[in-house]
Amino acid sequence: MDYVLTVLLPQLLHGLVFGAALGLLALGLTVIFGLLGVMNFAHGELYMLGAYAGIAVIGVAHSFWVALIAAPILVGLVAAVTEMTTLRPIYRREPLYGLILTFGLALVFREGARQIWGGDMRRVLPPFTGSTPLLGMTYPNYRLFLLAASSLILFALWLFFTRTRAGVVVRAAVQDAEMLDGLGVDVRRVFTLTFAASGALAALAGLLLAPIFTVYPQMGVEMILLAFIVVILGGMGSMGGSVVAAFIIGVAQSLFSLWMNPQRVAIAIFGIMIVVLIVRPRGLFGREGVLE
Amino acid sequence: MILEVDAVSKRFGALTALNRVGFAVDEGQIFSVIGPNGAGKSTLFNVVSGLFAPDAGRVRFRGVDITGLPPERVNRLGLAKTFQITNIFPEISVLDNVRVAAQSRTPESGRLASLWRRPDVDGVACALLETFGLGARRDAHARDLSHGEQRYLEICVALATDPRLLLLDEPTAGMTPGETRDATALVRKVVLERGLTLLLIEHDMSVVMGISDRVAVLHFGEKIAEGTPEAIRSDPRVIEAYLGGGDD
Amino acid sequence: MSVLGWRALLVFALLAALPLVPGMSRYYLLLAFDALLFGAIAMSLDLLMGYTGLVSFGHAAFYGLGAYATAILMERGVQSVWACVGFAVVVVGLYALVVSYFATARRGIYFALLTLIFAEVVYTFFRYTQTFGGSDGIQGLPDATVLPGLVIDTPTRKYYLVLAYLLIAYAICRVVVASHFGRVLVAIRENEDRARFLGYNVPRYKMGACMISALLTGVGGAIYPMRSAFATPDLMLWTESGEFIISVMIGGLGTLVGPIIGGAFFTILRDKVSSIVDWYFIVIGGVLIVIVLFMPRGLLGLRRIFSRRAAA
Repeated sequence: MDYVLTVLLPQLLHGLVFGAALGLLALGLTVIFGLLGVMNFAHGELYMLGAYAGIAVIGVAHSFWVALIAAPILVGLVAAVTEMTTLRPIYRREPLYGLILTFGLALVFREGARQIWGGDMRRVLPPFTGSTPLLGMTYPNYRLFLLAASSLILFALWLFFTRTRAGVVVRAAVQDAEMLDGLGVDVRRVFTLTFAASGALAALAGLLLAPIFTVYPQMGVEMILLAFIVVILGGMGSMGGSVVAAFIIGVAQSLFSLWMNPQRVAIAIFGIMIVVLIVRPRGLFGREGVLE
Repeated sequence: MILEVDAVSKRFGALTALNRVGFAVDEGQIFSVIGPNGAGKSTLFNVVSGLFAPDAGRVRFRGVDITGLPPERVNRLGLAKTFQITNIFPEISVLDNVRVAAQSRTPESGRLASLWRRPDVDGVACALLETFGLGARRDAHARDLSHGEQRYLEICVALATDPRLLLLDEPTAGMTPGETRDATALVRKVVLERGLTLLLIEHDMSVVMGISDRVAVLHFGEKIAEGTPEAIRSDPRVIEAYLGGGDD
Repeated sequence: MSVLGWRALLVFALLAALPLVPGMSRYYLLLAFDALLFGAIAMSLDLLMGYTGLVSFGHAAFYGLGAYATAILMERGVQSVWACVGFAVVVVGLYALVVSYFATARRGIYFALLTLIFAEVVYTFFRYTQTFGGSDGIQGLPDATVLPGLVIDTPTRKYYLVLAYLLIAYAICRVVVASHFGRVLVAIRENEDRARFLGYNVPRYKMGACMISALLTGVGGAIYPMRSAFATPDLMLWTESGEFIISVMIGGLGTLVGPIIGGAFFTILRDKVSSIVDWYFIVIGGVLIVIVLFMPRGLLGLRRIFSRRAAA
C-alpha cells in the first residue's frame, strides 16, 4: 500500500502531467498535417523556442505569468512568418517536400537558438512552490497546476472544435482539405492562423514543461520523436486519437521509468507502437481512406 | 460465363451504394452498365476489380471466386480496368506508360531476375499505340497529351496487360460527340479483333446502345433492368429513372 | 561494363588517377574518401527517393549498423574486408527486412516517420549498451585486409577501396533502374494505385527497393571503420539521415549521378564551412530550404528542365 501511495500514484500523476503537455504538441501536429498536408518536423523546435522565449520574457518582465502569455504570442508570430514565407509555396506539391523543408527549418531554428542562447542547460524556476496533500500523498503544486492548465486548454480546444463555426470548419477541413475551397473561406488566412496557433500551442507546452525539465537547444528533438509516435499510434489524421495516445504514452513512459533505465523505456515505448501497428495497422483511431 | 456478379452489396456509412446487384457476362460479349450519375456504377467496378471488398455477395471471374481479392491479384487473373478520371503515369513517356503495363505479363515479372533483366516489350507497346493513333506521340510525356489522347492512353495501358475481360469506366468522358463516336467504334473494333469481353460503364445511354450485346441499368444502387438494348430502350422503369432522375 | 557507358568509365578512370596528382595530401585523400562514400550512400537513397518516391529518414541506421558490424568483427580479430562486408550485409539485411515490412504497409509520410522512429531505437540501443562501447562506440580498430598481405593501411589504398565500392554500387543501381523492377519503381512513384491495377504487388516492390538501398548503404557503413578505425552511435543519429537526404536533394532526384555529386559536394561543404564558422547547420538548413523552394528537382534536375524547354 505504501508502495502504491509513495511511488506508483505520484508516477501515474507525473505521467498524466506529461501526457497532457504531449497532447498539446501532438494535437497541433495532427491539425497541421490534416489541414496543410505538412508533417511539421520543426514542431519540436517551436516547442523549444517557447521555452527560450519564456526565459527571455522572464528576464525582462520578471514574471512567469507574463511569459506564459507573451512567449506563445512571440512564437506564434515566428510560426506565422515561417508559414507565409516557406510553406505557402509548397502546398500544392507532394507532402514529402513539406517534411524535408521543415527538417531544414528545424536545423536552422535549433542552431539559431544555440547561437543566441548558447548550448548550456538552463532552468526555469516554477512560479510557485510547495506541495498539496492529495489522496494520502503530497504532490508538488506546480505539477498540479500544469495538469489543470493543460487539461483546461485541451478542453477549451475541444469546445472550439465542436461548438464554434470556425472550429467545425477547421475540423472538417482536417478530414478533407479540399472542402475549404467550396466554403468561400480565405484559405490562406486559415492556414496561416492555424499554423501560428499550433506553434503557439507548442510554445505553451514548452514553457509549461520548462520548470520540470531542463531547457536546451536539442530539447525539441526528443519531443518531436515522441510526438510522431503519438500521431502514428493515435491514427494519422485523428485529432481525438492524438490526445488519447499522448496520455497513453505519457503514462507508459512515466510508469516504465520506475522499472527500467531510460533507453529501455524508449525501446519499450517503441515496442508499444509496433504491437499496436501489428494489431491495428492504422493506429488506434485511424480510419480507412484517411491519407490513402 | 466469364464474369458472374452475385447479389453484391456495398455500403459507405449510411449510404448504400450497391444493393444486391447481380448479373452475368458471357465470353466475348459487350456488356454495358448504364445509369444516372451516382447510381453506383463506379462502385460496382471498384468491387469487381478488387479496390473494395463488398459487404455481401460474391464475384466470380472465369470460375474463380475473386471476392475481396486485391487489385493486383484480380489483374493477374486477366481483368484490366480503366478509370473514369484519367489515371496514368504523368511524368514518364507515353511509351514507358505502356511498357510498364506490358512487362507485367513477361516471365520475369515477380521473379528475382526482374532486378537485372529488361524484357523487350516495345513491339507490343508500339503496336498498341499505333492502333490508338498515338504512335507519333510515344516519346511525349503522358502529362503533355491532350485530354482525348490521354483517354486512349488509359485504354492502351489497360490492354497492355493482355486481359480477357476489359472494364472501361466511361471511356469517352469529356469527349465531344464526334470524338465519342470515333472512340466507341475504335474500342468496339479492338475488342472484336482481340476476342475480348468488354464490360462498359456509361451514363450516356446513346453511347452504349449501338455496340452492346446486353445492357444492365443501375439506379440508386439497384439493378432495375437488364436485357438487349432494344428491350432496355423501351423499358418504362428505365425511362422513368432517366427522366425522373433529373440527370442531364 | 556496357551498363556503365563510356562517360561513366571515363569519370571513374579520372577518379582512379586522383592519388597520382602531385602534392595530393593525406588530408585531401581522406576527404575524397568521405566525399565518395557520402555520394555512394546518397545514390543508394536516391533509389528510394528519386525512383520509388519514398523518403527514408532512417538511412543512418543502415549506415551505422554496417559500421558496427565491421567494428564488432575487427574487435574480435577478424580483419578481412570480405568477412566484414558479409557480416554487415546479414545484419543490415535482417534489420531492413523488419523496417521495410512495417514501413511499406502504408504510403508517403508514413514511411518517412516509421524509418525515422526505427532508426532512433537502433541509435538509442547502441548509445546506451556498454557491450558496444556506449556513447564512445568502438575505437582503435586495426587495418583491414583484402587478401593475406594486402592491407588497407595507406590513405591511397583506403581511397581505392571506397572507389571500388562506389563503382560496384553504381553499376548495381544502373542495372536495377533500367530493369523490369526499376520500371515498376518509377510507375509506383508516378501513380501507386494504377501500378496495382497493372498486377504489381506494390508493397513488395517497395520492400525490394528499400532492401537494395539499405544493403548498399550498409556496405558503405561497413567500409567506414576501415578508414576511420572507429564506429560510434553518432553515425546513426537522425541528423545524419537528414544529411543523406540533403545530398540527394542538392544533386537531383532520380538521376543517380546527381546524388553522388550532391553527396560529395555536401561533404566538402561541411568540411570547409564547419572549419570556418560554428553555425554550419544554419547554412545547411538554409541550403535545404532554398532547394526545396526554388529547385525541387535539385541541381541536375534543374538542368534537365531547362534543356527540355529549349528543345520544345
